Amino acid sequence: MRKGRGLRTYTIFYLIFLYAPIVLLPLFAFNDSKIIAFPLKGFTTDWFVALWHKTELHQAVLKSLIIAVTTAVFATALGVFAARAGTKYRFRGKGPVLGFIMLPLVLPDIIVAVSLLVVLLRIGMGLGMTAAILGHVVICLPFAIAILNSAFSSLDQSLEEAAYDLGETPFSAFRLVILPLVMPGIISSLLITFTISLDEYIIASFLVGTEETLPVYLFNQMTKNSREIPVVLALGTVLVLFSILLLGIAEYFRRRGIARTGGKDTGGFL
Amino acid sequence: MTPNPLIDLRAVQKYYGDYHALRGIDLTIHQGEFFSLLGPSGCGKTTLLRTIAGFEDVSSGVVMIDGKSMEGVPANHRPTNMVFQSYAIFPHLTVAQNVGFGLRKDPRSKADKDKAVVEALAMVGLAGYGDRAANALSGGQRQRVALARALILEPKVLLLDEPLSALDKKMREQMQHELRRLQRQVGITFILVTHDQEEALIMSDRIAVMFEGEIAQLADPQTLYRRPVSRRVAEFIGVMNFLPCEVTQGAGDAIEVNLPGLGHATLQPDQCPSGGVPGTGSVGVRPEAMSILFEGEAASGQIAQAEVVEVIYYGDMTYYEVRFDAVEAPVTISMKNIVGRPVLERGDKARVSWDARSLVLFC
Ligand SMILES: Nc1ncnc2c1ncn2[C@@H]1O[C@H](COP(=O)(O)OP(=O)(O)OP(=O)(O)O)[C@@H](O)[C@H]1O
Ligand SMILES: [Mg+2]
Repeated sequence: MRKGRGLRTYTIFYLIFLYAPIVLLPLFAFNDSKIIAFPLKGFTTDWFVALWHKTELHQAVLKSLIIAVTTAVFATALGVFAARAGTKYRFRGKGPVLGFIMLPLVLPDIIVAVSLLVVLLRIGMGLGMTAAILGHVVICLPFAIAILNSAFSSLDQSLEEAAYDLGETPFSAFRLVILPLVMPGIISSLLITFTISLDEYIIASFLVGTEETLPVYLFNQMTKNSREIPVVLALGTVLVLFSILLLGIAEYFRRRGIARTGGKDTGGFL
Repeated sequence: MTPNPLIDLRAVQKYYGDYHALRGIDLTIHQGEFFSLLGPSGCGKTTLLRTIAGFEDVSSGVVMIDGKSMEGVPANHRPTNMVFQSYAIFPHLTVAQNVGFGLRKDPRSKADKDKAVVEALAMVGLAGYGDRAANALSGGQRQRVALARALILEPKVLLLDEPLSALDKKMREQMQHELRRLQRQVGITFILVTHDQEEALIMSDRIAVMFEGEIAQLADPQTLYRRPVSRRVAEFIGVMNFLPCEVTQGAGDAIEVNLPGLGHATLQPDQCPSGGVPGTGSVGVRPEAMSILFEGEAASGQIAQAEVVEVIYYGDMTYYEVRFDAVEAPVTISMKNIVGRPVLERGDKARVSWDARSLVLFC
């Protein structure tokens, strides 16, 4: 079993590299020192208190929330259409079209950001929150579709036909049968796209203009004055907990959806 | 009671792209009939059922239900209901909500609808299951829920697409009888799709045998079994032996054939679905239509000499494979194991009694 041991060592190192920085985050957020270095000094919650009093930060959080909520709603709504078309209808060029929509998944964000910036400036649309929402919808859509595809394709096609057969119109059949069954997928898509948008930096920094979102604000704080670093770490701690919570909820709903329709689990993000 | 036509299909054709799935179906199904569509996989049974239900448009031809053309009428406006092969039970609803699903637009009061649901559940033997979650049911129970959900709407026609194929053998046999009983009780026309010939024979008033998008024969079970119109139908329904023969006189009221090893037979026109043409042909005979004569048993027809080449003992029945003189292929004969009748062994000589009336001539 030498091979197995090699793989295990690799996995352990991988996990350490991945998560050690995140573990350091709360460690220094509660550390009573402005300098980020060992040994730790004492325990303090000052940095969290300082968070509470920063109004620019609150502004940034608010903007990020607005962008994230709008993005989540739009990306999920579009995702529902795409996933339904993809699972229900056969049409010419379906493969290429769906592949095209999924492209931002592998495209570097910086390319999406730059191209959107160029286009938006060209068509005379100013930078700001709307532009950021547009950019975020583009990068969130593939995630929404991936999640919703799994929800829609685990549905038995004859469920919908049974609803027609029992007198429902296509619209009421969708509302009474399809929607409740894919609802867990929709919720999970909303949560995931919300999370992606909330902490997205590159596209936001290119497109928001003067309206700093939270990640943009944070980055500027970190680079401009290092005094603020422990406060930023405190914020980071809060955000990590928040993200874990959201992802957990999203995965719960995704699994529940699959269990409900009696389908097989074919992936997912957790 | 004169049969009342309920469903009329005229020259129905269906293409899926280039694939010709239904090749001119003409079919009349009567009011209150238990009708089966029987055929091998891929012959178009489901497609035909779905054109009646309104899930598929016909490429040409007419579907009439109760005297009205169904052209342009969507599934939710047709007087048909369907029991799907997968049952299509709504997993997010309870059993009662599933059964009452189609009553949503019914103008009756809620109390009346609840009562109808309770009655429908009782009818299919699921009284008291109303509050169960639908996805916590066994296959047989799902099947019953699907039936109740369709029957509660009192459709003119109930369409069933292989409703029993997902059940185990015991359950399937039980449901076959129950479906038949239910159909007699409610008097609704049932159209059943199946690829199981035994199931079709047991349950149906009439059966349409389909091959490759065409109806090969439409008849009641007895006619279908005794007088199949082609070798292919005969092979699909039960077991049939085929013996080579020489038609010496074709056409007319009496067709004369010579059967090597058995003798001479005179056949009636109803035994020759494709007519009698002088020359070589083959004659079909069911295993139970011939019998081996034991001591003290009298022949009911002609007698031929044969040798037993294989014995398969089933308890209630024994299947013998025998070889007639001058006939290469062995012939299967089934014998009931009645008291006092011995079981022969391989190599034994046997006297086989056969009757010209039980033969079918295929040219
Ligand atoms: N939507 C479709 N598109 C293209 N071809 C189809 C479609 N539905 C059915 N077919 C083809 O039509 C033929 C008949 O199909 P159908 O489902 O009616 O067969 P069936 O007799 O019900 O068979 P089975 O016993 O396997 O259910 C098959 O060859 C099938 O491949
Ligand atoms: Mg079928």
